[in-house]
Amino acid sequence: MFTLSQIEHNLPMPPHMLSRPLPEAIEAELKTLFLDKVIAKLGLCVSVYDIRSVEGGSIHPGEGCSTYKVSFRLLMFKPFIGEVLVGRISGYDDKGLQISLDFFNDICIPGHLMQYGTVRGPDGRWMLKTEDGDELHLDLDDEIRFVVSSIKYPPIPIEQKEDEPPFAPMQIVGSIKGDGLGLLAWWAADEEGEEEAEQ
Amino acid sequence: MKIQKANAGVLTNFEVLDFLQSRGAKIDPMGCLGAVAASECKVYEYLLKTPACNQTRESILKFVKRSEGFRLAEADKLNVINWRPSSAADAYAMIEECGKRFSRDERGEACDEDVRVQEFLDIVKEVLPPPPPKAGADVDAEAEAKAKPMQE
Repeated sequence: MFTLSQIEHNLPMPPHMLSRPLPEAIEAELKTLFLDKVIAKLGLCVSVYDIRSVEGGSIHPGEGCSTYKVSFRLLMFKPFIGEVLVGRISGYDDKGLQISLDFFNDICIPGHLMQYGTVRGPDGRWMLKTEDGDELHLDLDDEIRFVVSSIKYPPIPIEQKEDEPPFAPMQIVGSIKGDGLGLLAWWAADEEGEEEAEQ
Repeated sequence: MKIQKANAGVLTNFEVLDFLQSRGAKIDPMGCLGAVAASECKVYEYLLKTPACNQTRESILKFVKRSEGFRLAEADKLNVINWRPSSAADAYAMIEECGKRFSRDERGEACDEDVRVQEFLDIVKEVLPPPPPKAGADVDAEAEAKAKPMQE
């Protein structure tokens, strides 16, 4: 779910930061630059893990800041394909379900990646029709387990149309087709039954 | 910006939780102000709800050692450590080609898949600490506890 990425960056240090100790100032600058932002192909930056090296400190002509060559590691949220994640259903439409991990929301599970027999009910909710004729609804705020099937980093759009959803720089496509996937409640039920029987 | 290494190592949920904790992340929303960024705080709160919240470095190392005989890939181990499967269905979701992996034992001889899966789940259950009770279940338990004295 989380990986480290090592990055080298030429970091200009604004003059007002010069009063602070260098490592502290560099970390603060890196945080404002990268934190909570998506770097294409690397994922969403959660935190600055450590600073490996700091070089230079040269002042370029015409600039009031010193530039350091900093090598550091970032803590990225970047699930691998095939990784299992647990999230909450935050919405649904005719394309599929939207899932939220609280800190990351651009996850969707399209209809064709749900268990066989999952259809949309008359009220718009997705539901799984079992062989016994039961209808298992996928409700809002239900906890759901899914595997990551692909991650997309769409290019930044030049024009944003009014009716389009806000631009998401990183989109995860999940799948709940398979054993053990889907709502946690579906799979937890048997276990609770066993425990009760034991008691 | 130059990317030196896109993947300089994968972390388990526990390691991330431990790292954020060392930075001063707290569950109290006011305590987070200043010490850590909002994004870190959200990740921390999310991780607290996962089985990673009461794992220790020792329990993970112990699990990796005990599960050697199952010849799991790193990715499978990561899934198992992060989510702690409690039933065979969970294990099948988290481990790729579960059927093939579990149909042979340490010496490569054919064995019963179901027995082998159960053996694996027992190790998980024994070594990795159980996840915290669900918030909903807690409320129910508290409500029951409160209701009982009233009946008396």
